[in-house]
Amino acid sequence: MNRRKFLTILGSAGVASSLGTTLTATKAEAGAHVFPNYDESYGVLHDTTRCIGCRRCEEGCNKANDLPKPDKPFSDLSVTSQRRRTSADAWTVVNKYVVDGKPVFRKLQCFHCNDPACASACFAKCFSKLPNGVVTYEGSQCVGCRYCMIACPFYVPGFEYDEALDPLVQKCTFCEHRLVEGKLPGCVEACPMDALTFGRRSDLIRIARARINENPGKYVNYIYGEEDAGGTAWMVLAPAKDGKGSPLPQNPIDAGHTLEQMDLNTHLGNRPMGELTYGALGAVPMIVAFWPVLFGGAYAITKRREAMAKQAQDAVVKEAHEDVVAAVDAAVRKLEETEGPGAAERARRAMTEALKAREAEAAHAKHGEDS
Amino acid sequence: MRNGTKLLMLAVMALACTACLMASGANAASLGPTDSGAQAAQVMFPVSNQPNPTAAGMKPVVFNHLIHEKAVEDCTTCHHTGDPQSCTTCHTVEGSGNGNFVTLERAMHATNIAKRAENTPQSCVSCHEQQFARRECAGCHSIVKAERGNDWCAVCHNVSPTPKQMQDGCAGKMSAEENLKLAEATIAAHQPAQPISPMSGPLKLRIGALADKYQPNLFTHRRHVASLWDAIKDDKLAQAFHSKPETLCAACHHRSPLSATPPKCGSCHSTTLDPANPQRPTLKAAYHLQCMGCHEGMKVERPRKTDCATCHKPAQ
Repeated sequence: MNRRKFLTILGSAGVASSLGTTLTATKAEAGAHVFPNYDESYGVLHDTTRCIGCRRCEEGCNKANDLPKPDKPFSDLSVTSQRRRTSADAWTVVNKYVVDGKPVFRKLQCFHCNDPACASACFAKCFSKLPNGVVTYEGSQCVGCRYCMIACPFYVPGFEYDEALDPLVQKCTFCEHRLVEGKLPGCVEACPMDALTFGRRSDLIRIARARINENPGKYVNYIYGEEDAGGTAWMVLAPAKDGKGSPLPQNPIDAGHTLEQMDLNTHLGNRPMGELTYGALGAVPMIVAFWPVLFGGAYAITKRREAMAKQAQDAVVKEAHEDVVAAVDAAVRKLEETEGPGAAERARRAMTEALKAREAEAAHAKHGEDS
Repeated sequence: MRNGTKLLMLAVMALACTACLMASGANAASLGPTDSGAQAAQVMFPVSNQPNPTAAGMKPVVFNHLIHEKAVEDCTTCHHTGDPQSCTTCHTVEGSGNGNFVTLERAMHATNIAKRAENTPQSCVSCHEQQFARRECAGCHSIVKAERGNDWCAVCHNVSPTPKQMQDGCAGKMSAEENLKLAEATIAAHQPAQPISPMSGPLKLRIGALADKYQPNLFTHRRHVASLWDAIKDDKLAQAFHSKPETLCAACHHRSPLSATPPKCGSCHSTTLDPANPQRPTLKAAYHLQCMGCHEGMKVERPRKTDCATCHKPAQ
């Protein structure tokens, strides 16, 4: 087997294997990235016009999930005026926002996106969206890169910075352990105002629309989370600008002013965050497979070209050398005929010495070039 | 003669009643002069170009100009063009070019009226609904919405003209005198509903179905009803529109037929989420939403919403 044959075999094997990788990659992309819209999934509707900021949901969450006791007790309602964020120890927090001069309380927790950005960012595949609507995190493969925390458009996942060994990401689990037992999530059960309504996501959208229609002027005409970031399981209703309400049906665009004041980002678009990166991330396996073949091939071609050029050069040099030797030989023979063998012998010796000196000079020059 | 006495008594009572009714009818026959010089009351017919408009199936409305002109700032509140003419001049059943094709039905009932640069027109319903914002009204009217059924329509649509009168009225041919006579007769015949006395309800209620972390609440039912009743007892609008004796009860005892013995909150609101009615608040939330909603509407500052122990003491 010569070199060319070997390279040919290697190349075709590489293409075949990379094709295989591409096929599996496409399959994986369809399975892991694009989550189907689960019709039967559950969600929670958070009606901020009902929320009184009592922090019972925080307490309920803490108990239901055996989280560590907070520094300040749940009866201390002053903390709501700070802009708190969810963390590894507090999976839900209630903050007070001043909307057009009036206090409005909003509960923060994982929104359980229909197509979660955290899952799209996680290369260890720790996150998944379940058919019941829950976005779960399973940390056995977690490497602690915290890409999920950067990817989340709601800044929800928290990290166990205090954990020296194997720190994990922590976030609201939708109390999945309670859901499977037929119980409500801890926060929903604890809410004394039904500001949190649990139900099938499709029902909740209907309920929210009914509330908006039946109470003109009470709500902004917008269900936050119905479409935002591709739709979320947890959705928010926000109060209208003035309690009396405008008699006109409110333009959903007007809701932005209110929602922004409640720290609800209205610029997330109506497509999942992950869609922005699926294309680029999906190409990663292809790059892994193709680059060795591509660059290996390029290297081989260059090498071969160099070898062929050297061969041609050598042939020319050899020919030239043979020509010179033949010419010199012919000249010496002629000398032998005219001047006698003594002269021929001298001429040969002189020729050999001259060639040797020249070769030595050439070798010296080459050496000099190299250094 | 025991039966005879009874009969005699009944006869006397019947006579007294008739006399009284006749007297009151005679007294209320005229409403008195208006400041504007307009007719004190008038029946508003569904005026139409058609001989038999569909709206003729509905009873016409009597409009008491005297009461209304005292309640509004100036004439332009209703006469939004500045010209004191009848509504039906421009707003006919079908709508006409003069009234920008706003139909009579819309002109009287619309609540989604686009704001104008100046002098936004009002409909009867939109102006009356604005009254809900008054403190004494806002409590109940922020937690409950009147069901728009036949009773709701009949409060205003209560004139019973003869077929001849109806035909004349729809054609716009009825004379002012006849119209006034019909209007005054309708107003005179109207008897405002006498609300159920707060005394007929319970004095206090022990709300304890959910007592767990907190002790049962002792709800001062009579005090609450009496305070609501006190605030509106002299209000003409409330008298006119709280058309049934039990109307006031329906603020809290909502979504059930009017009754002096309405169902309890727990009859419909279950203690746990009802999967068949996920939109229905659970019992705990129903209490809180109702109590806090009304208190907020009436601007009752205390107790604060998060002062749990003010209404129910923590359990020992």
